[in-house]
Amino acid sequence: MSTVNIDKILKRVQKPTRYSGGELNSVMKDPEGADIRYAFVFPDTYEVGMSHLGMKILYHVLNLRPDTYCERVFAPWVDMEEEMRKENIPLFSIETRTPVREFDFVGVTLQYEMCYTNVLNMLDLAGIPLLSKDRGEDAPFVNAGGPCAYNPEPLAEIFDFFTMGEGEEVIGELMDAYKEWKAEGGRRIDYLKKIAKIEGIYVPCLYDVEYNGDGTLKSMTPNCPEAKPRVRKRIVENLDEIVYPDKFIVPFMDIVHDRVSLEVFRGCIRGCRFCQAGMIYRPIREKSPDRLVKDAECLLSSTGYEEMSLSSLSTSDYTRFEELADRLLTLTEKEKVSLSLPSLRVDNFGLSLMERVQKVRKSGLTFAPEAGSQRMRDVINKNVTEEDLMRSVGLAFDGGWLTVKLYFMIGLPYETDGDIAGIARLAEKVAERYYASEKTNKRRAPSVNLSVAGFVPKPFTPFQWAGQNDMETLRRKQQLLKGEIKNRHVKYSYHQSDVSVLEGIFARGDRKLNAVLVRAFELGCKLDGWSECFDMEKWRRAFADCGVDMDFYTRERSYDELFPWDFVDIGVTKDFMMRENERAKAAVTTPHCRLKCSGCGAASLCAGGKCSVYTEESSLKKIRELKENG
Amino acid sequence: MAEEKILYDYYLIYEKTDNAKYISHLDFVRTYNRTMRRAGLPVAFSEGFNPHPQLSFALPLSVGYTSECELLELKLTEELPEAEIRDRLNAVIPDGIKILEAHKGRSRMKKLRYARYIVTPEIMPGSVDGFLNMNEIIIDKKTKSGIKDTDIRPDIREIALSDGKMEMILCAGSDRNLKPDVVVRAMNRYISGYDSGDCEYHRAAVYDDEMKIIN
Ligand code: SF4
Ligand code: SF4
Repeated sequence: MSTVNIDKILKRVQKPTRYSGGELNSVMKDPEGADIRYAFVFPDTYEVGMSHLGMKILYHVLNLRPDTYCERVFAPWVDMEEEMRKENIPLFSIETRTPVREFDFVGVTLQYEMCYTNVLNMLDLAGIPLLSKDRGEDAPFVNAGGPCAYNPEPLAEIFDFFTMGEGEEVIGELMDAYKEWKAEGGRRIDYLKKIAKIEGIYVPCLYDVEYNGDGTLKSMTPNCPEAKPRVRKRIVENLDEIVYPDKFIVPFMDIVHDRVSLEVFRGCIRGCRFCQAGMIYRPIREKSPDRLVKDAECLLSSTGYEEMSLSSLSTSDYTRFEELADRLLTLTEKEKVSLSLPSLRVDNFGLSLMERVQKVRKSGLTFAPEAGSQRMRDVINKNVTEEDLMRSVGLAFDGGWLTVKLYFMIGLPYETDGDIAGIARLAEKVAERYYASEKTNKRRAPSVNLSVAGFVPKPFTPFQWAGQNDMETLRRKQQLLKGEIKNRHVKYSYHQSDVSVLEGIFARGDRKLNAVLVRAFELGCKLDGWSECFDMEKWRRAFADCGVDMDFYTRERSYDELFPWDFVDIGVTKDFMMRENERAKAAVTTPHCRLKCSGCGAASLCAGGKCSVYTEESSLKKIRELKENG
Repeated sequence: MAEEKILYDYYLIYEKTDNAKYISHLDFVRTYNRTMRRAGLPVAFSEGFNPHPQLSFALPLSVGYTSECELLELKLTEELPEAEIRDRLNAVIPDGIKILEAHKGRSRMKKLRYARYIVTPEIMPGSVDGFLNMNEIIIDKKTKSGIKDTDIRPDIREIALSDGKMEMILCAGSDRNLKPDVVVRAMNRYISGYDSGDCEYHRAAVYDDEMKIIN
C-alpha cells in the first residue's frame, strides 16, 4: 500500500479542502488492520458528492465493520485533474490518500446519467482499465449502485457488477463473500459468479445479449448457472431498524446540502407517471417520529450544524407529518437551528406550520405542478388542481413570502401547444394572486420563478414507451412558452435541451452505448453536468464515430418490445406500467397508495406480500377526511 | 421589550496547522461556529431571522498558511472557567486546529500592527540586503480598490535569514497589511537569478505598534 503526496499541488488549486480531508467525523482507521478496503466513489465533485445521503449511509455501514475500511473518492475539478496528470498523481482516497487502484472494491454511486463520463475519467485517472474484461486479477472490483443502476446496460462493459436496490441491505453479504473467496483463493471470475447468486446482484459478463435486425433487443440470457434470469431489487423493510449514521462528516467548504438531513421515509405513495423515483423506490416505508427525533438530536449534537432538512420524495405525505414537524420544531427552536421543509406538496400544508418555520428562517417556497393545464396534470397523474395551487400560494403570499418557484416540464407525452401556454397562464395567475389579496404588501413585488425542464422518458415508468422530443421541438416549445409570458413578475429559466436529450438516450440505453461512452471520454467529455464543461459537439462526434444513431434511443416504443432493463425486477410490474400508460392516454388519474392499492406489484417485495401502506383502515380514514373537508 | 442579557467576554488563542491550513477564513468561521455548538457552550447569538454566534477575528489567515497565534473573541451568556472552555472546544474541533489558551475579557486585537511570519522556501536567497535597500519595491497587490501596483517597502519592517528559513516582520491589520507571499513574489522578481520555488508560510506572532506581543 502506498499513499500519494498532494501537498504541493494543493497549493495551486482552487478550493483545496475538496481534496485535503481531515474533516470532522471522517473515519480514520489503520489501513493495515482492514481486511477489505472499499473506495466509495461519487462521480462528481466533492461539494455535490458530500451532499448525498446514500453515501453517508453506506460509508457508515461499511465502517461499522471492523474488517472493512471505507474511504471517499470524488471527481477532481478541472484544475486539480490537470495538476494530477502533470505530476503523475493517480486518483486517491480522501482519508488516507491511497491510490484508488490499490483498493479491493471501487463502488460508484450512479445518481444521474450525466456523470457517466466522469466514471470513465476517474477510472483512467486511477489507472484502472476502463472495461471490465481488461481488468487483471489484481484490479479492484469496480461496481455500481444507485438509481441509474436500474438500467445498467449502457455501462455493462465497464462495471464488474451492479447492485439493484438499497445498498445497505446487500453490502454486508458482498463483503462476507469477498472474505470467503479470498480464503478459498479463487480467481476473479469465481468471486463474480459467487455473488451472482446473491439476490440483487447483476454481473453483466454472465449474460449474453442478442439484437433484432432493427437494433432492438432480441434476448438476454445467462451464460452460466449462477446468473439469475431476473435480478430482483433489494429493500430494507423496516426503516426503524436500519442503521442510520449518528455522525455526518462536516466539510470545511460550503457544499450543496450543508446540513443535517433526516430520511423520513423511502418510496412515494403518489405514482406520477413520469417519475422514476416514485416507481423504483416502491413501496413506501416510513420511519417513526420517535426514531426521527432521536436521529435529529444525535446528528445535531455530533455535527453542530445550524440547519436541518427532511429528505424524502414527498415529505408532507408522511403520515404523522404534523406531529413530526411539531416535535422537530420544538427541538430546533431550542437549539437555534433552522429547519427547512422542502418539497412540500401544493395540496397539503398548513399555514400554522409555515409560520413556525418562518419564525426561524424565511426562504423561497417551491411548488411542482409540473404541467400547466388540468388535462395535462391528469395525464401525468399529478393530482394537484389549480385551486390547490392558488390556495397554497395565497397562503404563502399572505404569510409574507414574496418568492415562489414553480417547476414544470415540457415535452410530455400527449402534450399540445395549449398545454404549454397553460404554463404561462398558471404562472401569471399566481403572480396576480399577490395583488388580489388585501393582506400582501403592495410596495413590494412578488416574483414567480418558472423552472422548466425538458421531459426525459425513464425506464420503469408508465412513460417508458414514450417518444422524447428532439432538440428542435424542445427549443420551439421553449420559445412558445417564453412568448406567452406577459407578466413581468414571472421569470423564466429553462434547462439546456441537448442535455436532456442525452440524458434520455442513456436512461433508456442498451449495451451498444458502452462504446459511445468510451469514445466520448476519449474525445474529452467529462463533468457533463456542469454547463461550463458540457460540449454537445463532442458527443455528436462520439455517436457518429461509433455508428450509433441517437434517434434510435429517443423514439417511441411499442408494448411488445423487449427492453434492456426488463430483466431487472423492481417489484412494480411492466403490466402495471402499461395500464398506467393507457390511463394517461385517456387522461384518467390513479389514486395514490393510501387511498387505494392499484396492485402495482411492489407488495411482493414485502413479507407476506402485503404493502404496509395500504390498509383497509387507512383508506377509510382518508376517505372520511376527504368528505369532511368537502 | 427583550430582557437585557448579561454577556461575558472571552478570547482564544489558537493554532492552525497541517491540513487545517487549507481552510479559508470564511470556511473557518463556519467550522468554528459549529465547533462551539458541538461543545455545547452557552454562546451569545445575534438577533434576527438568522441568528449567528457573536464572534470577532483578529486577522484573517490566507489559505495555505499555518499559524500559532490566531486570536478570536467570543461572547457567552454564562461565566465558565477558562480551561473548561479550551478543553470543551478542543474535544470536538477538527484535527489541525487547537485552542492554546482561553482568557476572560477582551483581547488587544484592535491594537494589532505587525505580524511575524516564518517562510520556508525551497531555495534560500543568498542575501536580502540589496532587496531591502531598494528605494521602492513595486509589485501588483490586491488592495481594497482592486489589484494595483503598490510600493510594499514601507510595510516591511524586517527580513532576517536563518537556517533555511526567512523571518519577516510585516505590517498587519486593517489599515496596512502585507502578506509574505507578496514579498516572496517581489523577491523572485527583484533579486536577480532567484527563484524561491514553493514556500511554506507560518504566522508566528502578532504585535502592537510598540512591537509588544499581543496574546
Ligand atoms: S410526488 Fe410524484 S414526482 Fe414526487 S416523488 Fe412522488 S411520484 Fe415522484
Ligand atoms: S402494491 Fe399497492 S399499495 Fe403497494 S406500492 Fe403498489 S399500488 Fe401502492
